[in-house]
Amino acid sequence: MSQLHNAFTLFLSLLVEAMPFLLLGVIVSSSLLLLVDERKLIAKIPSNPFLGALVGSCVGFLFPVCECGNVPVARRLLLKGVSPSVAIAFLLAAPTINPVVIWSTWVAFGEQPQIVILRIIFSLGIATIIGCIFSIQKDPRALLQPTLAKRFNLLVARGAQKSENNGSLSSVLLQSGTFLLGTSGQPQRMEQLFSETLSPVVGITDNSKFQSFLNNVVLELRELGGMLIFGSAIAAIIQVFVPREFVLSLSHDTITSIVAMMLLAAIVSICSTVDSFFALSFAATFTSSSLLAFLVFGPTIDIKAMGLMASIFKPKIIIYIFAIVAQLTFLLTLIYSYLS
Amino acid sequence: MINLQSITKKKPRYIAVYLKKAKQYNWTLCLDSLVFISWGILLLKYAITGEYKLLIHPNYFLLMVVTGILMLLIGVVRGILFLQFPNSASDKEQHLTLFPAKFSSTLLLGVAIAGLIISPNVLTSKTALQRGVAENLPLTSSQPQSFVTTTKSEERSLIDWVRTLNAYPEPDAYQGQPAKVTGFVVHLPELPENYLLISRFIVTCCAVDAYPIGIPVQLEGNRNAYSPDTWLEITGTMTTANLPSKDHQNQRKLVLVPSEIKPIPTPKDPYISNQ
Repeated sequence: MSQLHNAFTLFLSLLVEAMPFLLLGVIVSSSLLLLVDERKLIAKIPSNPFLGALVGSCVGFLFPVCECGNVPVARRLLLKGVSPSVAIAFLLAAPTINPVVIWSTWVAFGEQPQIVILRIIFSLGIATIIGCIFSIQKDPRALLQPTLAKRFNLLVARGAQKSENNGSLSSVLLQSGTFLLGTSGQPQRMEQLFSETLSPVVGITDNSKFQSFLNNVVLELRELGGMLIFGSAIAAIIQVFVPREFVLSLSHDTITSIVAMMLLAAIVSICSTVDSFFALSFAATFTSSSLLAFLVFGPTIDIKAMGLMASIFKPKIIIYIFAIVAQLTFLLTLIYSYLS
Repeated sequence: MINLQSITKKKPRYIAVYLKKAKQYNWTLCLDSLVFISWGILLLKYAITGEYKLLIHPNYFLLMVVTGILMLLIGVVRGILFLQFPNSASDKEQHLTLFPAKFSSTLLLGVAIAGLIISPNVLTSKTALQRGVAENLPLTSSQPQSFVTTTKSEERSLIDWVRTLNAYPEPDAYQGQPAKVTGFVVHLPELPENYLLISRFIVTCCAVDAYPIGIPVQLEGNRNAYSPDTWLEITGTMTTANLPSKDHQNQRKLVLVPSEIKPIPTPKDPYISNQ
């Protein structure tokens, strides 16, 4: 019973810690929805997948949010029509490549500047590589979690409708989807009919602008909050029932200590702004390459964030991202351990 | 009897009208408002009662309070909107979300209410053992210069001792220094029966990452006189002893020999914050 109470306390502690960042992320996302014109945004991002992913990774510098806050923003970027490679690169890099995190890493590891610099380089590299890999898939809907893909469809349909209204033909090809015979006698795509009722943002006054901002904040926080609860619950249960000593006892040499620290990073689900201080407490017992593995792997992948990521991607895609990040982190830090 | 019957007959019609009206209401709006209000109250409750110290690092206090106020405000505004236009259908996208909206809201509301009812507990010696008490003190000290020996040894807290020891890891250097520390009792299995560990948790970010530190205390009798998790204030002098550590090798360690052991109630802020 006391174990259960412990788990509940840890669960609450994760939630209380993450809620402010989630709210911040949702507010940023909602302001993006209202303030940013997607066509201008997309025009500014280079179409080359490598450059795009690099830009995506660096966008994190503008949003000082950790892994709970960047999920709503990444989702919004996707729905704004930003290519998945850019959004994924942003999702993976933003928790590390932002001023607050770099500063706190510097405070903690100022005496070992190579850790600070390599943390940035590795995170940037991994995010860019994964961004490039996913740029091969041109249609974002194949990656997205089904309901988000549906939402995406609506937005694409709405975009197409808009450009048709502007007199330019968006596509001469036969379009897939369900069509209804409208009053005009022309077949109309079913999604388009819905999209009209679904576009609270198009052509609105200031008052309703505030209302739709509020609506969006509530909508996203409700949905992501639900996912956060799932992720935190799992993380808390693992914390209580898998002793940390067990994880640490796994480390015997260079390779196993890297693996142990990566495992710990995933389990502890600690926020990226302070994880360097936590890592410092292992500085005496662990090699610097395994600390680096913790610092690179932790912010991108943790159990708490898995729930949130499930609101964007299909489970299969999350496993891919997870596996690739883990392998790259492992390889890079292993190379570092032999070179240093 | 007749009266009762007439009432029960009348009532259904009354309710039916009400229900018909209520069906047109968009209850998701109401639920949303409750979710936000309850989370706002929960966060502010932690702030007021000081229970946040059991959950997060005090640095996040302001962030938590601001979030609490914002959520309360959003909830109230949302609630007012619901009362004004109870059947406005601003929530058209709900059928497209990952969870059904009501499920997500109910979950959030449930957790907030559970949080309001069940207070967070203080991490115990069991957790300390599970997380591995940092006996050889791999401690974080981003500013090692802050330990300085100028502070009187009896004014050092447990973490100060550990920091000092970390900066200058020579137990013999502290022999004979007076000390006064507070912490909770941990029965470390590898220590002899007449030793207990006086310990505290250090928090970096939140309770999830709390890790324990401690100093062995040499007792005259068996440690069972002080059951685990009892909070003690120990006055005494420092000395050294060869003690077995986890890998069963004897190690020279700093040990506290108490002159006075005073049980104290669990402090309001049981954790030491890192940084």
